[in-house]
Amino acid sequence: MKSVALVALWCAASGVLARAELHTIPVTPASAEGALDPSSPMWKTATPVSLGLQRTPLLYPTDQPAALDITSVQVQLLRASGHVWVRLEWQDKSRNSAELPEAKRAWQGGHLVAQSEATDRFSDACAVMLPATTGASEVFPALQMGDAAHPVQIYFWDATRGTAVMEAKGRETTHRTGKKFPSQSVWKEGKWMVTLELPEFAAGTPLAVALWNGDQQDRDGRKYFSVWYKTQ
Amino acid sequence: MSIHQISMVLDLNKCLGCQTCTMACKKLWTDGDGMDYMYWNNVETRPGQGYPRNWDKIGGGFENGRLRPSDIPTKEDYGQTFEYNYSERLFEGGLQAMPHQEVRNTPNWDEDVGSLMLGENYYFYLPRICNHCTNPACLAACPRNAIYKREEDGIVLVDQERCEGYRYCMRACPYKKIYFNELLGKAQKCIFCYPRIEKGEVNACAKQCPGRLRFVGYLDDPNSAVHKLVHVYKVALGLFPEKGTGPNVFYVPPFNPPRKGNYGKSILEDPRMPIDYLVYLFGEQVTDVIRRLEGELQKAQNGGSSEVLQLLIGRDASVRYQIPKREELIHIQGAKKA
Repeated sequence: MKSVALVALWCAASGVLARAELHTIPVTPASAEGALDPSSPMWKTATPVSLGLQRTPLLYPTDQPAALDITSVQVQLLRASGHVWVRLEWQDKSRNSAELPEAKRAWQGGHLVAQSEATDRFSDACAVMLPATTGASEVFPALQMGDAAHPVQIYFWDATRGTAVMEAKGRETTHRTGKKFPSQSVWKEGKWMVTLELPEFAAGTPLAVALWNGDQQDRDGRKYFSVWYKTQ
Repeated sequence: MSIHQISMVLDLNKCLGCQTCTMACKKLWTDGDGMDYMYWNNVETRPGQGYPRNWDKIGGGFENGRLRPSDIPTKEDYGQTFEYNYSERLFEGGLQAMPHQEVRNTPNWDEDVGSLMLGENYYFYLPRICNHCTNPACLAACPRNAIYKREEDGIVLVDQERCEGYRYCMRACPYKKIYFNELLGKAQKCIFCYPRIEKGEVNACAKQCPGRLRFVGYLDDPNSAVHKLVHVYKVALGLFPEKGTGPNVFYVPPFNPPRKGNYGKSILEDPRMPIDYLVYLFGEQVTDVIRRLEGELQKAQNGGSSEVLQLLIGRDASVRYQIPKREELIHIQGAKKA
């Protein structure tokens, strides 16, 4: 079912890229006030770094190929009082998100039932991946959701369903921790601007970004990804 | 592979198209938020587009052991859900009860339309649930390992905790019997009424069926009606066997008398509907099944008795259902592997 050889090839290639293209993302000190707002002027003080994106290879033989519609994501980091704010900005000509009514009861509703509006739409989303043990290190977890010796934490934002903290120690091990984290987002003129509030991590901690484009039916491992970048 | 396999046989000659099964299932399982469009049990008119629209042509299943590509059905493919203007009609002098919106598709959109053969109309009803396949394509396609097949009865379920709503299963299922609850972000499907089965009670769809066309039991239980109909009398077939998933819901094909009422002639020579269409649905074996049924019919018409036809009458629940309680299940000795 799964293209193991292709995935292995990609894994090897991404490992090479992780070492060859290591860049640094500056972290700018700031006040906590207003940092979560992606439109705040505070973000003008944070140096933007453009991260090149690749698409994952097709994981399943039944998948349709997807073009590299989004070539880069701009990342900025602010640090203050126990938090790091990550601001991601990327071009996405279509906004794929839905306002869903709250599902009051999954089964046996005693109220007017809320409807599923669609069955085939997927959301835009983004995620920041950090090693579970943060801090400067010359060894980076495997880009495919870490590995047994180097687990990762993933801060996932979905344009429809909000945020979730996930953990993983290798491909197909990702699970939700049940925790959420603060975020804000704006989609304007073909561009997503998303700010994520993360717990503070030490200087030198590596960071990688993934994007999902709902328009391209992205979900799961079907996505855009950057290699590891070091934070300053 | 499960140790035991529960199964259902549906005699299409007895289906009235009344949708009582559909409503029994709807009221029991799919009346919650986000489930409005879901009919885990549906009854569609054949020939016809089916539910979701053109599900049999979208794709999915296996080809040479590999999953076949498919699209995900859209909400409109499943059919709209809508309200009627009853208060306007009843209290404000409106002339006719009408839906609030223009209706372009519903779950049994082409009800009783059927098709024509030699200028004569024909159609039949096809009730459908999840086939709880021996080799489920949905399970093979799920990257989250959220879908599992229970060892004790072969029922295929979606673990609602593990499911992330990726919908690879919807694509993979050749019968398009997995639905997406957008509000919960989860895939949901027919659970073969497993809480009832565990207590030795038959599925709601079967229990409510006025036509008594459903038989339920374990395929590996030599005393069950389903075992006899599928493995001994060989008069029930799975839908689209070429999809490669090994469906465990079986159908006794429509067995209409010859078109001109000529009982001397074989149904295969003078059919009321194109045999090719039945071959399309049930595979090449359908002609053998019709011959077998025809033989049984002749036996009965000549004054003999037919065990098959007596069983298909399904006089009472004890004839149609053999569902041991969970604790009794381990004592079933399978004569055949399910």
